[in-house]
Amino acid sequence: MAELELEKIVGSEYVFDHPTFLDEYAEDLSFNPRIKPKGIVRPANTDEVQRIIQWANKTQTPLIPISSGPPHFRGDTVPGIDGAIIVDLSRMKRIIRIDPKNKIAMIEPGVTYGELQSELAKHRLCAYMPLLPRRSKSVIGSTLEREPIIRPSHHWDSTDPFLCAEVIFGTGDKFRTGEASGPDTVEEQWEMGRFQMNPFGHSHIDFQRLISGAQGTIGMVTWATLKCSYLSEISRALLVPSENIEPLLELGYLFTRFRLSGALFILNGLNLACLLTHEPDEINKLRNLFPSWILFTSFEGYGILPKEKVEFEETDFRMMAQSCHLHPQDQIFGVKADDLLKLLSRPSTEPYWKMRFKGGFQDLFFLTTLDKTPRFIHTISNLSSLYGFPSEEIGVYIQPIVQGTSCHCEFNLYFNPNQINEIEGTKKFILEASKEIANHGGFFSRPYGGWKEVAYSKARGTLAMQKKIKQIFDPNGILNPGKLCF
Amino acid sequence: MKLPKEAYQALEDIVGPEYITQEPEILDTYNQVWGNKFFFDEKHSVRPSAVLLPATTEEIQAIVRVCNQYQILFKAFSSGFEYLSLSLLHGKGILLDLRRMNRILEIDAKNMRAVVEPYVSVYRLQLEAAKFGLYTGRIGVGYSAGVIAAECCHHGCQHTMVFTSGYGRNVLGVEWVLPTGEVLRMGTGENGEDLFSADGPGFSLRGILRGRTGANGGHGIITKASVKLYPWYGPPEWEQTKQPGEVLSLGQLDDVLNGYKVFIPTFRNLDDTLEAAAEFCRAEILYALGIGIIGAEVIPEGNDEHWAMIQKMQNADPDQREGLDLFKNSVVLVIGGQSQREIEYKEKVIMAITEKWGGSFLPQYNNQRSLARAFADIIWSTGVNLRATGDFLPSSSSPDGSPDMLKRLALLEGKVKEKYEKSGAFMPVGSIEKRMVSWRPEEHLSIGAQGISTAIYDPFDPFSLKAAREFINELFDPRSQFKRFGIPSRGGCLQIEPVTHVHQNWGHLYDHYDVWLRKIKKMLDPNTVADWTAYIPPDYPDYPKEGDYVLPSYGKEENNF
Amino acid sequence: MAWQDYVHDMQRCTRCSYCKWIPYRYVRNTNFMEGCPSISRYHWHAFSASGKFNMAYSLLLERIEITDTFLDILYKCHMDGSCDISCKVQQDLEPLQLMQELRMKCVEEGQLIPAHMSVIEGLQKEDNMMQSLKADRGNWAKGLDVKNLTKEKADVIYHVGCRYSFDKELWPVARAGLNLLQKANVDIGILGAEEVCCGGRAYELGYVGELMKYAEHQREAFQTAGVKTLVTPCSDCYASFKVLYDKIGKKLGIEIFHITQYLELLIKTGKIKFNKKVPLKVTYHDPCHLGRLGEPWIHWQGKEKKGLGPMIIHDPPKKYRRGANGVYEPPREILRRIPGIDFVEMYRIKEYAWCCGAGGGVIDAYPDFAIWTASERLKEARSIGAEAIVSACPWCKRNFLNAIKETGDKIEAYDLIEIVQSSI
Repeated sequence: MAELELEKIVGSEYVFDHPTFLDEYAEDLSFNPRIKPKGIVRPANTDEVQRIIQWANKTQTPLIPISSGPPHFRGDTVPGIDGAIIVDLSRMKRIIRIDPKNKIAMIEPGVTYGELQSELAKHRLCAYMPLLPRRSKSVIGSTLEREPIIRPSHHWDSTDPFLCAEVIFGTGDKFRTGEASGPDTVEEQWEMGRFQMNPFGHSHIDFQRLISGAQGTIGMVTWATLKCSYLSEISRALLVPSENIEPLLELGYLFTRFRLSGALFILNGLNLACLLTHEPDEINKLRNLFPSWILFTSFEGYGILPKEKVEFEETDFRMMAQSCHLHPQDQIFGVKADDLLKLLSRPSTEPYWKMRFKGGFQDLFFLTTLDKTPRFIHTISNLSSLYGFPSEEIGVYIQPIVQGTSCHCEFNLYFNPNQINEIEGTKKFILEASKEIANHGGFFSRPYGGWKEVAYSKARGTLAMQKKIKQIFDPNGILNPGKLCF
Repeated sequence: MKLPKEAYQALEDIVGPEYITQEPEILDTYNQVWGNKFFFDEKHSVRPSAVLLPATTEEIQAIVRVCNQYQILFKAFSSGFEYLSLSLLHGKGILLDLRRMNRILEIDAKNMRAVVEPYVSVYRLQLEAAKFGLYTGRIGVGYSAGVIAAECCHHGCQHTMVFTSGYGRNVLGVEWVLPTGEVLRMGTGENGEDLFSADGPGFSLRGILRGRTGANGGHGIITKASVKLYPWYGPPEWEQTKQPGEVLSLGQLDDVLNGYKVFIPTFRNLDDTLEAAAEFCRAEILYALGIGIIGAEVIPEGNDEHWAMIQKMQNADPDQREGLDLFKNSVVLVIGGQSQREIEYKEKVIMAITEKWGGSFLPQYNNQRSLARAFADIIWSTGVNLRATGDFLPSSSSPDGSPDMLKRLALLEGKVKEKYEKSGAFMPVGSIEKRMVSWRPEEHLSIGAQGISTAIYDPFDPFSLKAAREFINELFDPRSQFKRFGIPSRGGCLQIEPVTHVHQNWGHLYDHYDVWLRKIKKMLDPNTVADWTAYIPPDYPDYPKEGDYVLPSYGKEENNF
Repeated sequence: MAWQDYVHDMQRCTRCSYCKWIPYRYVRNTNFMEGCPSISRYHWHAFSASGKFNMAYSLLLERIEITDTFLDILYKCHMDGSCDISCKVQQDLEPLQLMQELRMKCVEEGQLIPAHMSVIEGLQKEDNMMQSLKADRGNWAKGLDVKNLTKEKADVIYHVGCRYSFDKELWPVARAGLNLLQKANVDIGILGAEEVCCGGRAYELGYVGELMKYAEHQREAFQTAGVKTLVTPCSDCYASFKVLYDKIGKKLGIEIFHITQYLELLIKTGKIKFNKKVPLKVTYHDPCHLGRLGEPWIHWQGKEKKGLGPMIIHDPPKKYRRGANGVYEPPREILRRIPGIDFVEMYRIKEYAWCCGAGGGVIDAYPDFAIWTASERLKEARSIGAEAIVSACPWCKRNFLNAIKETGDKIEAYDLIEIVQSSI
């Protein structure tokens, strides 16, 4: 019955219920329980998405929105309850409009970073990238998840680079957020010089903040506008090695405080090795050469004086580094910073960089401030010995966000997915570690899987309010049940 | 009206007799503010039943609970310099004057944030933050604006937003007394941690905090907020001085502060000016930008002195008169840098872009005194523009969007305004023939800019007032040409829903945003005790009638009981 | 202008609240940015100048009446003019004049403050504001070799005012002032027991008749004495003679000097020379009546008109008193010249100085408020490391002494005369 109704909406070729397909969506690479969906539907446009949601409301069918291709890692795309339909938005792949003057791209949810970057480059623009996303990652998916971008000074607010969106709420109502919210069609708005660039509102609500970080529980986005950056005419990159993380954090503070405009993040040696090479042996070899910590930065030359921009930023950065007693390098152990910069402008090559070392991984990330990251590194290190998780198999990624006012702190727990004991060890470790991190003030702003209990146990007021808001936008609770606090 | 005795007693028990009043002499000082005459047809809006001066969040919670118990409207404010912050729907309402909550609780220099209480003004925070090499942007209502009001509660925009953003984008944490009396602490604050993120877990409750417009007290009271700070390149202290015998308004900096430079290029025509301005913004070099807004000239002592200056200029020779129009094609550019190298780079960019668009640096603007004056004006404030006629109307819908849109809107609106200026109802800004266009860029123009224009009128001059109302109605008729441009919030978001019915008239044009907003209002405020005059009612009343956009339905105390 | 004539000001007060603060661009320390003691102490908006505009407008529209609350608010104000100065940086309004007119209206209608009634009764009976006997007025000068102008002629009259005449603790200051002038060979005399109140303080309380009466009396007395110049060590008296008499059309027709102005002349012309070091870190407190309220009166008669459409202008152009021409430099110049003195400025100075707390009748009717205001000033003086606060008015010194006594503050309060005397 469900199938028939859905076929009427999207056409029979886009509704799937073959067990093979259902199995694919029943689980991902996280430790979340396996729950098989009832079917998969792949709409082509807003109208179809809206009709699917309206249908689901009538039939009380849970819907799980997905825009990225596999593999999935965080459990947010796996049904939380039985009988769900996966709404796979990956067919919606249009890059609707690129506005080189205002530096905006309007895209559909199925567009990946690789696709977007290629198109933007034609207009001398580039996307704000997270750290080497997997090839199948949806740009809108990543943005809505508040995945941090690697250029912290251009990250003014946690929702960046997200501007406006068209969304179908859980009620089945269509809405356009920010400047996009009417009147007229988008095309008519363009005629008036309205390019859906301003994210505020509409009116007394910031709707875009309710759909980002929501894991698809409030609405499904059918297009979004994103702010983009100029494509650099000339770029430079540097690596800053250090055995201690503290001086790098100081440098990170200086960089963000004075708004140097390029990329900046800190990795431990293992993660840098994972970014750069594919084979575990090579990774091991490299990480043994590397110092404990490496700060990566770039200087982006665009605008009317690109060369001068890069020169001034690099020189100032070197002065800042000097004040922290650090020595920026063009390359370390044969790894050229400029080569890494090129790598960072595209999605990860296959295999995804986090799968290269041991095949499996689990991320543990949260928000804190840069000055507190050593405390968490220490905590994780202590816990790893307590739980027998090899500390040398933990990657670390520290990304200043919101112009340096906080940072994304990520531990990547690498394990062999074919070893039951490693799986079990990782499971246990990640659960305990998340509790410890929360107890030490780490903030699970984006709670996936098991972290949600930890996060919400410390956010009772937020939980109560989110439930009320959910009641407004998705009163029947059809959107991604089981996620967040729903 | 008087509150029921037991309700008053309950409130008095919370704050103590010294900090509550129902004396009419005092109450009537909480309902007279600029703009009232335009909106309510008299200087007085509704007289509150009582005014309270709470000192803590706990007191506010308790007050709000009493309001729920006795069905009393409440609204809180800090500086109170806006009719939005003092207007009440009806007389069974109280105001909470938050001036006793005036602490800067924290400045975390490293993580660039400040945590403040409601009565901390923007300028006070600027002065304190400068000691740590930090800065908080300004908004357009002058020095006394509250930080929390600006960031969490009201609409406000200004020239520093190119660098410091605004509209709630700087909020890192909030303590919010909901209309039910519960306290919501967003994000990290809920767990007693440092207030560095208000987002999550999960979707951000900042989504219902303020939007673009600010809830203006319509959904509770913000008692504490953590806000982002930005680099301050200048010295930790500075002095604006004047010569003995000079009036205070002549006080100014001797020079642009170290760490900053100011340039005022002038271009040949409007198109070049706006294109150049956009390029300056997108070059990511600016600390502040003002188009056609040059505070480089001496601030006149008063209106009569100003009038004398104008007359002198009007009597000047044609060349000089031509010079008067130049300011409309001039742009104030402020750059700052942590190193000489940074400043030099930014200066080179300014020179290159100026040359590209055929601009030049006129000596009358680009001299030490004028540049220092322009710097202080654009970085802090010179106050509020109410001297000339006693009032002004932020007349456009003040939308945000692309520079192209804002230019079209300004020119269109200018045409409408022209007839009122020619008739003498509005004070012309610049010459009528050469229309000025100005917008305020946000975040290096990466998310657009805010357009604004004002009608300077005298609300106590019947001719001028009538014109102002006609003008606004023409602009805000949902059937008019203006509807397509942006946000239907009358007068720079200074709208009073019971009078203007903006949500009611315009909501359907804008994807029915008002339906969601009313649901949120109902959810947050089940007993409708948070005054919604500058927010939205849970349910619309029967009016308005077709074509009737200013109804004399508000401002009478006897209404709505 | 009567209070009702300020209706446009009432309508045009925007509630910007700048009247509550010193002019923002002059704020240097955020702990000392408040300008108006009344709103700072009592919090309700009514206590600010804006609140007074609001109350007046409500009164005009008969929304409220003059009640005890109204009087309480109106009179818990030092009439120090700080609000007036700050307001006029933003607007062309006259808050202080409105407050003055409101007080006059209250008196006219018999709406009086009991504490002030006693003072005025004393004044009417004994010609002084100190509730003391007229006969004792000249006692401060007992034993001094000084011309009595009722009997002898002199070029200059030394008018000490009510506070110096009857506040024994301050007599040494009054005597020292006279002594300094005599030593500089100024041909000077006093009226002794025949000196009367200037009437200025009574006027501030709303008793305009008293000011008229005393202005006329003084004019006659000075003419009879044949003096060409008046020197007073009291800032209140200075403002009365210099400003208020002119305001009400009763100019004295002689030169009026505050003693600091006169001493500065004598120092500059070498008639007073400093011989001793005064090793003291001091700050200077501008008395309101010498500073912003000491600015000469500007007469204007005309009407409001419009220019450039609705712009509010005047015919003839109206020059507002914005405080710039008060007496600020002479006392500072003297301090700078005294050897050994380490002179440091507070954060609120000159036009936007914080009041000492004595003015406007507050010291009589609300002594706790007077002490509070003074204490706030002493805090400021201490914050810049001053060992002493120097003023140029007996009312300031009296109120500072009271506050020091009350609070146990470790700071000295001097009149400038005392500092000058110490260095000679």
